[in-house]
Amino acid sequence: MEDRPILEILRSFGPPEWVPEWALWLTAAGIGVGMLVAFVSLLALFSIWMERKVAGHIQCRYGPMYAGGWHGWAQTIADGVKLLLKEDIIPTGSDKPLFVLAPAIVLASIFAALVVMPVSYGFYFAEMDLGVFTILALGSTTTIGVIMAGWASNSKWAIYGAMREAAQVIAYEIPLGLSLLVPLMALGTFSLLDASSAQAGWYGMNWAVFQNPFVFPAFLIFATAALAETKRAPFDLPEAESELVAGFLTEYSGIRWSFFFMEEYAAMFLMSVVGSIFFFGGFETPITAAARSMFGSNDHLVVQLICALTLLLKSFFGVFLMMWLRWTLPRIRIDQVMTMGYKYLTPLSLLCVLGAAVWELIIS
Amino acid sequence: MTDVKEYIFNVVNTLKTTVAGMKITGKYLMQKPITVQYPDERLPIPDRYRGIHYLEQEKCINCLACARACPIDCIEMDAVRHGKELEWVSFTLDYQKCMFCELCVYPCPKDCIHMGTEFALVTTDRSELNVDLLSFKGMAREAKIRMREAKVKKAAKEAAKKAKEDGEAAAATDGEAS
Amino acid sequence: MTIEQQKGALTLGSEGRVLPSGEREFMMDVSTSDLEVNMGPQHPATHGVMRILLRTDGELVTGAQPHLGYLHRCAEKIGENVEWLQYLPYTDRYDYLAAMNNNLGYSLAVEALMPGLEIPRRATLIRTICAEINRIASHLIAFGTYGLDIGAFTPFFYAFREREWIQALFEKICGARLTYSYIRIGGVFNDAPPGWLQEVGHFCDVFEQKWQEYYDLLVVNHVFVKRTADIGVIPEEMALDFGLTGPMLRGSGVDFDLRRDMPYMVYKEISDAGALKVPIGRGEMGTLGDCWDRLFVRVQEMKESLAVIRWCLDSIEPGPVLGDVPKVIKVPPGEAYVGIENPRGELGHYVSSDGGKVATRCRVRGPSFTNLAVLEDMMPGTLLADSVAIIGSTDIVVGETDR
Repeated sequence: MEDRPILEILRSFGPPEWVPEWALWLTAAGIGVGMLVAFVSLLALFSIWMERKVAGHIQCRYGPMYAGGWHGWAQTIADGVKLLLKEDIIPTGSDKPLFVLAPAIVLASIFAALVVMPVSYGFYFAEMDLGVFTILALGSTTTIGVIMAGWASNSKWAIYGAMREAAQVIAYEIPLGLSLLVPLMALGTFSLLDASSAQAGWYGMNWAVFQNPFVFPAFLIFATAALAETKRAPFDLPEAESELVAGFLTEYSGIRWSFFFMEEYAAMFLMSVVGSIFFFGGFETPITAAARSMFGSNDHLVVQLICALTLLLKSFFGVFLMMWLRWTLPRIRIDQVMTMGYKYLTPLSLLCVLGAAVWELIIS
Repeated sequence: MTDVKEYIFNVVNTLKTTVAGMKITGKYLMQKPITVQYPDERLPIPDRYRGIHYLEQEKCINCLACARACPIDCIEMDAVRHGKELEWVSFTLDYQKCMFCELCVYPCPKDCIHMGTEFALVTTDRSELNVDLLSFKGMAREAKIRMREAKVKKAAKEAAKKAKEDGEAAAATDGEAS
Repeated sequence: MTIEQQKGALTLGSEGRVLPSGEREFMMDVSTSDLEVNMGPQHPATHGVMRILLRTDGELVTGAQPHLGYLHRCAEKIGENVEWLQYLPYTDRYDYLAAMNNNLGYSLAVEALMPGLEIPRRATLIRTICAEINRIASHLIAFGTYGLDIGAFTPFFYAFREREWIQALFEKICGARLTYSYIRIGGVFNDAPPGWLQEVGHFCDVFEQKWQEYYDLLVVNHVFVKRTADIGVIPEEMALDFGLTGPMLRGSGVDFDLRRDMPYMVYKEISDAGALKVPIGRGEMGTLGDCWDRLFVRVQEMKESLAVIRWCLDSIEPGPVLGDVPKVIKVPPGEAYVGIENPRGELGHYVSSDGGKVATRCRVRGPSFTNLAVLEDMMPGTLLADSVAIIGSTDIVVGETDR
């Protein structure tokens, strides 16, 4: 129990004798989780505003302009308040416990996966040796929530849409994992912090994409699989299924719907963080290397701030790329999605793994 | 072999067209949007715009040519004729029916009904859409003056004629007497 | 015991095996009935108020039946009650996306009944320019909303940006943005204001660059091609059997365009000068006659209209714009049918007159109505996910279907 700063801070307040250890531990965990939830919710809020502005400017128009004054920065807050005040409709004949539980499961899985995300070298919510593995595993439990949502909606087309979405997500888990194997081989670690520090050479430019020629194709595959996992950009047939038939989300309105929405942006952010850490250096840039040499070690506050900012900027660039793709490409049909997943991405990612392994054996 | 070629073509073409598309959208992302922030900014409206009508009331002679030309019969006018002058009661255009086709403008012999550049007609009650285009009711001041002058002139002419007849009668009786 | 066989019921067959334990095995025939999906009167992506009753068996569409009439406004009956010139604003409103062409068709039909009327050349050239610009505007909407149906949101906005410019052009010449009532019997209502023709030329130059952008962004995009190629194939015989016209016909490879093959106004001169090229579908990205071919024909037609407009701009000269038409038009008795090339196909007007101020019959042959009929035969056998793409490729305007 050495590395638990919140617990240490709580203990330093000198709690009375009768407070048991597990209560302190739970409070510390609660505060940590609360901080994470607040942080991620703020990120999701900002992402939604950014999406609307990016969409607007790509389409030669402004996005939100009124709410809050300057370019409508408070638009998401206004939307959130409106959704909170909406009537909570649960369709009759639906499976009420499942209906209520589905958005909770979906959101909880994503937040659980985000626990592994580090903020900087010294500040993280949970450091795990198998960090990326945890992220992948927890990230896929959102599918359970989606299937529950589709089933509990008591509508034939909702379950149909949920099944399609589940099939899509499961199909793209394979290339997602396989393509992540390539930088894992190049960097040699599953942990997110160690992966970042392994890219610290060459004045902070020893990124994974430069270490092994198979990492860049693996990045392309990872990007495509990440888009499909988060049901974004050209793979948004489950969401936009409402052209003709109802998607799995139709019966949800108000705050329950906004949970699904927040989960989408949190998942985008998560994939973007994993992508930036494992492919593009994570905390490492020439600026970080310079700051580190200026201020001594990684524990200095300025270095930590720069690390945090770097990761944030890189992830937001990834999120921005996802948004850019969404507004450029049309939707792919579900059978073409499955063809792409199984026939194109999986063999290509296997080839990348093979090539990367051979490269590592021969060169290093 | 063609399957392999098709496979490679699919992958390469997807990447190529995606990048080409992103270049175009990226270009517009960096440009200034073309939106005109109505109602704070407005676009200039050309002169020929077919908006809400305006009537040059002094020229109108109540000939009903525009009312006859309207396909939907939405113009109604009412005026009382005093000799050559008109006393206006109403000239209404029912904007619930009007389709802004401009067919009423051309038949006017005095060129007095036009379509302006105003287009926003926001009301809270449907009856307010029956707009009265008159700028004043009754008779114009100049028309009243002209009518008065005409009356005065007419009275003077009659007086002169009467005087002449009296004079002639008097001369006739005088002639008879002497 | 036998139960009468009906769809959705179980049938107990008579051929059941006898298992070793002595039990008889029943053969059960479970059949599910088809699901009827209502693509209701309101669509998420324009097209208008039209209802298509789809019968699906899982993912496969087994029947499609369009139901019309939601936008019926008795236009033809009104034609028998108002005077000849007063009917002009009503013609705008059937195919509201290509209003100039509607006005043109009606005016040409009435002028065909008035042999002594001479239309000035300047009027004819301005009519051609307006009709072709309106063709570009209509195809821009077809292109933009088709992208919207397939899921690409951005080309729609770019198309509407160009369309705003076109609408501003029309606003300058006739005062309205959508329902123009500009091309009238005998010519056009007003002459072009000074500078208008130069602005049209400028528009043509800028539009060529934008056309290239539309092409790169959507038309050859691999995802879009995969979504629309080999879908909704209309073979040539089927197109001719159903009487399709316009891009629906040309997309199936039939080289027929009313402007070139049955010319009206100055189109004979234009096609003789080589400025009128008619694009037809060639099956470049898939089967001949698929949705991509039809969209590509429309996109190419936008470009070819620019050549026609430029020819007209080069040959226009100052002059009168209205022929010798009396204030109240009385058309000599007779009947005439004139068909013109609307962006959607052949728009035909049949007018009959008994010499009075009001028509006795004013019938409109709307191309969307005929083009829609092919859906019932084309859609069974396609997947549900493609039905939106197919309906979008027919480019229907319900105002024209229902009038």
